[in-house]
Amino acid sequence: MSLDIQLLDPVEFLQPNRRLFIDTNIFMDPDTRRAGGLKRLFERGQDAILKNGNPIVVPTKVIGELTKQSRRDPAREAEERTKVAIKKAGASLRFLEDASKHGLVRKNLGDESNPYADDLFLRIFERFASTYEMCLLTRDITIKLRIRLLAHELDRRLLTGVLTKDGDVEIESDQSLINRGVRKYNLHASNVAEGNGNQRDKSEVAALGPLLQQFRKAFGVQESDDKVGSTAAKLTAPQGLSVGSPKAKPFSSAAAIKPRDTPLTVSSLPVEGDQVRWESASKCGTFVLGSLLGRGGEGSVYEGGGNTVVKIFDKDHITQHRKAKVELLVISGLQAKGLCIPSATVHNAAGEFVGYVMPTASGREARTIFNIRKLEKDFPTWKKSDLVDICISFLKKVEYLHSMNVILGDINPKNLMIDDRKNVFIIDADSWQLEGYPCPVGTPMYTSPAMLGKTYAEDLRTMEDELFAVATMLFQIVMTGQFPYMRTGTDGDMVQLIREGNFAFQISIRGKEYNDRDQPDGDWKYIWSHIHKPVKNLFWDTFHKEGKRYNRRPTATEWLEAFKAYRAYLGNKRLNFDPMSNDVRPIRNKAFKPDTPIEDCSTCGRKHAIAGFMPEGETEYIVPRQCNKCRGPSATGAGQARSRRPPSEPSRGPVATATGKTRVSALAKHYGITSKQALEKLSALGEYAKTASSSVGPDVVNRFEAAYGANLRAARRQRANTLDPSKLCTRCRNPFITYGNVEWHQREGKPVPTTHKAGPGGAYPPDCVPRSSQPRRSTSQRSSTTGNNPATKSTQKSQKPQKQQQKKKKKGFWSWLFG
Amino acid sequence: MATLNIGADDLVDNPTPRVPVSLCLDTSTSMAGSPIAELVRGVNLFYEAIDEDDDAHDSAEINIVEFNSSAGLVHDFASIERLPRISSLTADGLTAMAAGVNLALDTLEKRKATYSGSGVLYYQPWLVLMTDGAPTDNIEIAVKRVVDLVETKKLTVFPIGIGSRADMNTLARFSPNRPPLRLDGLKFKEFFEWLSKSVARVSRSTPGDTVKLDLEGLEGWAEL
Repeated sequence: MSLDIQLLDPVEFLQPNRRLFIDTNIFMDPDTRRAGGLKRLFERGQDAILKNGNPIVVPTKVIGELTKQSRRDPAREAEERTKVAIKKAGASLRFLEDASKHGLVRKNLGDESNPYADDLFLRIFERFASTYEMCLLTRDITIKLRIRLLAHELDRRLLTGVLTKDGDVEIESDQSLINRGVRKYNLHASNVAEGNGNQRDKSEVAALGPLLQQFRKAFGVQESDDKVGSTAAKLTAPQGLSVGSPKAKPFSSAAAIKPRDTPLTVSSLPVEGDQVRWESASKCGTFVLGSLLGRGGEGSVYEGGGNTVVKIFDKDHITQHRKAKVELLVISGLQAKGLCIPSATVHNAAGEFVGYVMPTASGREARTIFNIRKLEKDFPTWKKSDLVDICISFLKKVEYLHSMNVILGDINPKNLMIDDRKNVFIIDADSWQLEGYPCPVGTPMYTSPAMLGKTYAEDLRTMEDELFAVATMLFQIVMTGQFPYMRTGTDGDMVQLIREGNFAFQISIRGKEYNDRDQPDGDWKYIWSHIHKPVKNLFWDTFHKEGKRYNRRPTATEWLEAFKAYRAYLGNKRLNFDPMSNDVRPIRNKAFKPDTPIEDCSTCGRKHAIAGFMPEGETEYIVPRQCNKCRGPSATGAGQARSRRPPSEPSRGPVATATGKTRVSALAKHYGITSKQALEKLSALGEYAKTASSSVGPDVVNRFEAAYGANLRAARRQRANTLDPSKLCTRCRNPFITYGNVEWHQREGKPVPTTHKAGPGGAYPPDCVPRSSQPRRSTSQRSSTTGNNPATKSTQKSQKPQKQQQKKKKKGFWSWLFG
Repeated sequence: MATLNIGADDLVDNPTPRVPVSLCLDTSTSMAGSPIAELVRGVNLFYEAIDEDDDAHDSAEINIVEFNSSAGLVHDFASIERLPRISSLTADGLTAMAAGVNLALDTLEKRKATYSGSGVLYYQPWLVLMTDGAPTDNIEIAVKRVVDLVETKKLTVFPIGIGSRADMNTLARFSPNRPPLRLDGLKFKEFFEWLSKSVARVSRSTPGDTVKLDLEGLEGWAEL
């Protein structure tokens, strides 16, 4: 049970890069077991809040809800509970007012445009997920589910919880959330079902139904009836039945390896036009082999009747194991769309086993999509979402087979066919591993480190071996053919690469940066950067030797959920803000934030080819003039030269590596100097340029960069980072804004701020103390601070509530808290 | 002797593992006449066949080293799309086979380094050595380099003798694993057809796989 709930120190979320929010229902909490929690929260948190200038956020919307509640007339309410609630709302408001004056609470966030506070929290969390780690105190299970899902989708730390009486934050497990979510759903659903449902019941049912479904999928949990049951996340039952036949019974999950395979003697092999006998699970008969469709390494494939084909093995591939496996598959009743499973054995005139009947596969070998030129030629309209669909189609089949205790064994692109409608067909069923019959073949690229060096035909593969192949296949599908362990500086020995477990694609995971410099050259790093973060994490964890899943690889079910979430993400315009993320082959890194400027490349015309980037410590985006490719060889990495610059670090000089001509004015703008200064510097370099609209060649730009680049940037940065002494914060009356920031606002046509910047969580910097405000805990000093409202409203306006405040101070929640 | 500048994009954007094949060809005086003409025809046919094969097309990278009184690069490695068809080769001079082999090995090493530096998978390279005579330079070092590579599975060699005066003993020294083959008459066309099929076979495999060569297909062009 202890795992059902985790306790978190709220002070953690009062640190500068984090934000803590409180929802209305926390103030209205009737549960006496949690009484006093708010008080403890503020006692414990106040030092951190003031030190970090990071007040707890209670959005305007919440204040509004409390106000509405407090204005009700208790005398008119019959229920004692409601009377208490009205009082509570009033007390909370007084407390919040006071706390806000002490800089402990920020309540001016958001406006009235959002009809519901829940919605507001979700928007805030979506919008600022990439900026802050955030925690919302709320009792509402719906918002809790939503935010947990959001955290999962974005792979960010976004938490929700309630307060204990000690002021700790209680975070529920996925299991607990789903259980409570389902209970809430059932409550409202039964009201609706019984005809007693009001509008709220209906909207809860409409919202919770799909939400719970999403939640179950994303976290692989099902609601459990036993409240004391295990808290470990239960995996969803494989959904094989949705793709496969309901009749089939799984094979044994723990069969020991069968004795070595032996060849069977066959007198003759039937060919086109020969009569053969077939035997299915329940019937038998004869038919004439149709025309030869193709020859493979193990036999030939002929046309069968209807939607079937017939595989006739070559003589040396007719073995006891093959016969036994095909027979087992035939009688198993296993069948599913896209799986070319034997439906009948085929025998020659002498009655000897020679092959089997199976459903036809259609489409192209998966290798087609592993080669960008073929992919673009054969499927020119495909987007990344289509590749994700293929992963999903593949995974559904694999999940079904795994649920039947079948291990595919030789997963490789030759055994997958893909049709125009993105259906995946899996062929080569006679090589599958089942009932202790090993899969006798394999492909090094898809062979797990543990299996490398073993003989495929003489060892059973484990599920872990299988899941390595699954992961590799998925990686290659979304990465258009790249091998997960590809990196620079190898001698091409694939076996060695797999053994080493050096997954070179860069990632930031669980707060750690892995900036491997051996990422392969080319656009691969960009393609990687756009992959949905949870999927990326799962790949990294699976392939990197330090990954969490390196020895416990994700199951087909886990991958399936991850890829479904990827698919949903790509279709969600709000979360998937970068228009390039759905490209099959992105050509630049993913944009960091929704407001990152994205432009087409004016040189090559490629759409969305340029994304702005914000160098560390700066407040504005730099938008390169050209895309990575047009910026020259150093950006794409020449074949010969090994690029040493980590690609995550954007190029510093967008103008400096331009291949075309550059206007003096553009050069000047880039370095933050006037055109006249640029002309002077050019002439000092021995270059003659007449006016700002003159152009200089790339060599001159390079020389300019070499001579002045670093200095100019440093000077520009220094000025940009210098506080403008003429502008004072209306809150603390100190200089607060840099020249750079002022210029940026002016350039963007935005009003220049008048106070220190308060983040979305309401954090004023620690040194922005409202003048003459000295928050202390002693009552006498507090009473003297009421004259300063942190908001920039007129003094007159802020006077009125203060008077009321002073009058009611004795009864105030604040006094009650610290009195 | 043109050296092609190979675009980096072409190299890195295609994730297909590469098969570098170096054709190390004897262009000494004795090759003059129909042998050299047939050889040129055979090489161009080889290119066509690679071009037409879906898999080899993306995998094969070919260069040509010729040797006569000295060794030279006819063209450097490139994918089939960028390869120029050769119009003619001039047969004139001695048979500096060692120089030819050494140059071919050097270019293969360089190409492998390029793959490695860019992060491109590759199969261990192939060296096709064709001569109608005996070396006129000292082959010891070249032999040792080739044998070392073959024994560590870092090179596959196809030594091919042309005509009755080809020194099969020398060719045998370059091939520790399998005997050299003598071309049946001037069946360059058949040989290169076989070679392109073999390249295609490899490119359909995965690096690290052991690929069985089509030994039966040898009958079409080799004197067995």
